[in-house]
Amino acid sequence: MKGALKHLSPALACCGLLLTWQLASLGLKNDSFPTALDSLRAIPPILTDKEALINILASLRRMAIGFALALAFSIPLGLLMGRSRATAAFFNPLLMLVYPVPKAALMPIIMLWLGVGDVSKTLVIFLGVSLPVIYHSFEGAKAVEEKMLWSGAAMGLSAGERLLRIVLPAALPEILTGCRTGLVLALITMVTSEMIARQSGAGNILFNALDMGQYDTVFAMIIIIGAMGICLDAVFETIRRWLVRWSEPQFDMPLSFS
Amino acid sequence: MGVTPIRPGELAGVPLGRRPAEPIIEIDHVSQVFKTSSRRDHTALSNISLSVEEGAFVSILGPSGCGKSTLLYIVGGFVSPTSGTAKMKGKPITGPGTDRGPVFQEFALFPWKSVLGNVMYGPLQQGMNSAKAEARALELIAMVGLTGFEKFYPKELSGGMKQRVALARTLAYGPEVLLMDEPFGALDAHTRTRLQNDLLEIWERDRKTVLFVTHSVEEAVFLSDKVVMMSRSPGRIREVIDIDLPRPRRREELLLDPRYQNYIVEIERMFDDSGDNELPS
Amino acid sequence: MITTRTTNEWLLGAAPIVLVLLLWQGLVSFGYAPATLLPPPVQVFLRMGQQLASATFQQDIAATLFRLFAGFAIAVVLGVSIGIAAAVSPPVNAVVRPIVRVLAPLPKVALYPAFLLLLGFNHESKIMLVAADALFPILLSTYYGATIVEQKLIWSALAAGTPPRDVLWKVVLPAAMPSILTGCRIGLVISCIVVFLAEMITSTDGLGHVLVTAARTFQAVDMFVPLITISLLGLILNGLLQGLRAYLLRGFPSV
Repeated sequence: MKGALKHLSPALACCGLLLTWQLASLGLKNDSFPTALDSLRAIPPILTDKEALINILASLRRMAIGFALALAFSIPLGLLMGRSRATAAFFNPLLMLVYPVPKAALMPIIMLWLGVGDVSKTLVIFLGVSLPVIYHSFEGAKAVEEKMLWSGAAMGLSAGERLLRIVLPAALPEILTGCRTGLVLALITMVTSEMIARQSGAGNILFNALDMGQYDTVFAMIIIIGAMGICLDAVFETIRRWLVRWSEPQFDMPLSFS
Repeated sequence: MGVTPIRPGELAGVPLGRRPAEPIIEIDHVSQVFKTSSRRDHTALSNISLSVEEGAFVSILGPSGCGKSTLLYIVGGFVSPTSGTAKMKGKPITGPGTDRGPVFQEFALFPWKSVLGNVMYGPLQQGMNSAKAEARALELIAMVGLTGFEKFYPKELSGGMKQRVALARTLAYGPEVLLMDEPFGALDAHTRTRLQNDLLEIWERDRKTVLFVTHSVEEAVFLSDKVVMMSRSPGRIREVIDIDLPRPRRREELLLDPRYQNYIVEIERMFDDSGDNELPS
Repeated sequence: MITTRTTNEWLLGAAPIVLVLLLWQGLVSFGYAPATLLPPPVQVFLRMGQQLASATFQQDIAATLFRLFAGFAIAVVLGVSIGIAAAVSPPVNAVVRPIVRVLAPLPKVALYPAFLLLLGFNHESKIMLVAADALFPILLSTYYGATIVEQKLIWSALAAGTPPRDVLWKVVLPAAMPSILTGCRIGLVISCIVVFLAEMITSTDGLGHVLVTAARTFQAVDMFVPLITISLLGLILNGLLQGLRAYLLRGFPSV
């Protein structure tokens, strides 16, 4: 019973938030603040509109590619940095400089160089995801118990094998925390860069609707993007739990969001 | 001094069946200096020479911070000494190898592998096929008394059980020397006693060479053929004492044995005399 | 073993930065990139010095900083109080936990149009977005820090005569401080990023606006200046927070 309640509580929270919204908009009677019901009603037309759907799916495809490329690049780099002081000393200051740069803000410059195509948009997502994944892989690899590596060495594992067969699995819980942050960031970067570039995609639909005064569409898009974020996070969390079922239970929400 | 050091080759108390004593590990004028942030470097080990005969159970005993673990890591090849050499069977030690198996206080089990997976890891690494490796692992798991726990992950085990797995994992790939780094240091007194008994029973079957680091005098005397007493700042060998007690040893017999009690009292007195135990580490 | 950062490591760390600058200069000097697309670094830094001295640019910085601090301050106050409350009170926890679980992974930037509609196109909507984005890392680390405060610490304080209602301020809050400050650091960097993005999406002033204006007129040099400025601001603020952290946590074991 209690377990079921715990499982349902996020759904309950969603309902609660929508209810608060409904009441607030009824109370405010503001033209530019449609009720939750009106906004929900505006969702099906968006999702059945072919052009909008193609746009959103194209965004998601770029996001998936950017995310996958970022993982392929960042996890090995982070692990190497975590195990070699020289590598860490080499990359850390550069990464510190890059850290506070808003990645989506690079969109205009990258567009200037590479045009408005998929390459620019994917590159921005790649940049947005890379840093947290590098950081978490680095921290995870650094925290791997030395004695565990020694045990591996005593069994005859070479340095490369140790990185692959001991450091990688041992750092996996931390790496996956980074990936979870990175996934949400991929979505944020995608939406933001679309808002800035105003070419296509979910972010563009959102602002076009805003410009044209279709306020229920604006809020419907907010719900759609919000739902994407929540669903992606929930799916990833399920996968993560399964992959690291062997590890000591950790704090169940990632602490870092950047 | 109540304890008369016995020269190597004179280990009369050791029962029959012992191979002729020849050094398997030789430590020759080893020093270890760590650079610290302060100007003064920290000398962890100063000019240590020691040889360990094949088949002997040797304890390195000393207060915390005397470098006893560092000495063990040097033999393991995990740390290279600042000067001097350590040799295994006449060959200089340059790195870790399957002939020297470590067992750490921290267990260092692979948390993503089950008990069986951990114990099979070494045999598989040495190219044994998985059926054989599993058979070998099951045998060792049974030997350390953990039959029935094969599918468990380390996080589901108690400290004592984890250390049993760690011992089985190391024994599984058949090292010639066991390097035990305060293996029972993180366990409660009761578990510790039981593991000491079990370790002795396992050891007395095949008499692998053991280098055992501890800060417990009783543990050292109970288990060892030879106790190497170290002092700290800098880490030095201050005495090597042969423990002339009959084997197989049984705790309930030893506790009543005046020779056993005598060893403990003498060693404790030697540490007290130096006032070595109260320094901040 | 105590590890220290040696001069060698500083040099090693400076190497890639120098390399990037050299590569940048090289691309321009050898004609691989036209100066209209990639202005030479010297030109960018000269322009930056010029801009920093100009009154309009200073006003843009001021506008950005005002929004950043206002949003961050709201996030700190709300995040720390809700986080502590959720950690010490089970009923609050039961309400806050599911809501946070839902809202934390939600891309806050998507809410920006809603804020624009509700709060207008001025400071308020941007401050609100910054606060919404910075809130969750601060809230979550506060909550985490407060839940791992050792019960024995609280017992010791109570045994020493601390009134139960003071335990929160005298024990829980200080004990959770390292974690709270970590959250604040993440929140601060996020604030920098978000305020800039919000200004890029829609604004009439601020650093983000400067970048967008330059992009519309294809002034590559002027696009780099606000970007570098915001990164430097981020680094400076981060450094200040580190200093504060070192001062506040002088009794804690260093991490």
